Amino acid sequence: MKLNNTNTLGVLLLLTLCTALFSIFGWGKNGVIAIILILSGVKFLLVAFRFMDMYKAHRLWKLLLVGYLLSFISIVLILLK
Amino acid sequence: MHSSIDHKDFYEPPGGILIWILIFLELITFGVALIVLIGYSREDPTAYHISRLKLNTTFGSINTVFLLTSGYFMAESLKQFKANHLPRATILLQLTLLGGLSFLLLKGFEYYEKIEHGLTLGHDTFFNFYWLLTGFHVIHVFVGLTILGSILWSLKRARTPLLLEDYEASAAFWHMCDLIWLLLFPTLYLVL
Repeated sequence: MKLNNTNTLGVLLLLTLCTALFSIFGWGKNGVIAIILILSGVKFLLVAFRFMDMYKAHRLWKLLLVGYLLSFISIVLILLK
Repeated sequence: MHSSIDHKDFYEPPGGILIWILIFLELITFGVALIVLIGYSREDPTAYHISRLKLNTTFGSINTVFLLTSGYFMAESLKQFKANHLPRATILLQLTLLGGLSFLLLKGFEYYEKIEHGLTLGHDTFFNFYWLLTGFHVIHVFVGLTILGSILWSLKRARTPLLLEDYEASAAFWHMCDLIWLLLFPTLYLVL
């Protein structure tokens, strides 16, 4: 399935619903914080690469975005461990 | 059709290099603030968890939907603008603004709820972070809506044509508000 803006929104809303369900029913279970942060990270990348058209950008911009996100999620997970 | 820009050029990312320098500065600022919050929470995880439970995650989730949908309309509006379908671009931009205003309205209810319960700035360290982080984000949303409002005015009334670079930069600023929220919401509302 090729991602266009409309199906990207569908995926984003589905991921938002999944995040909500995990946070309600998964609290206290191992790995749920990592799952919530990873789902948010995927949404972040979908907005950046699809809605903001960064898939068209120079490779360095893409690396900076992914690098920022991975750094943020990693630091948060390490601190919350 | 508006002239195309080569976004593969490092100095020409979608929206322009200046807006992306701004976006990264904002992401770093909010990111560091959220990490500092997490760091403070390690001193007394139970107290921070109890404070976090006082936040309205339903409102936060609905606001996520508002911003994501608004972002969708912004992306579609830009697409129509590039294709020179200005009436469609205008309608989609108005829907973008509606999404942003809905976010602010719900945020207003959330703030009212907090104030009614005495959970104001100074209540505890968690709520200091809550008010500062969400408050700064709200300011960005206000600025974004002002920028989009000026774009809408230009589409409807201005005598000189709107430049694609300006439209893209304005869209990038709006999406930045979404990017910040996508990190702020789970960190502040869900994981502590």
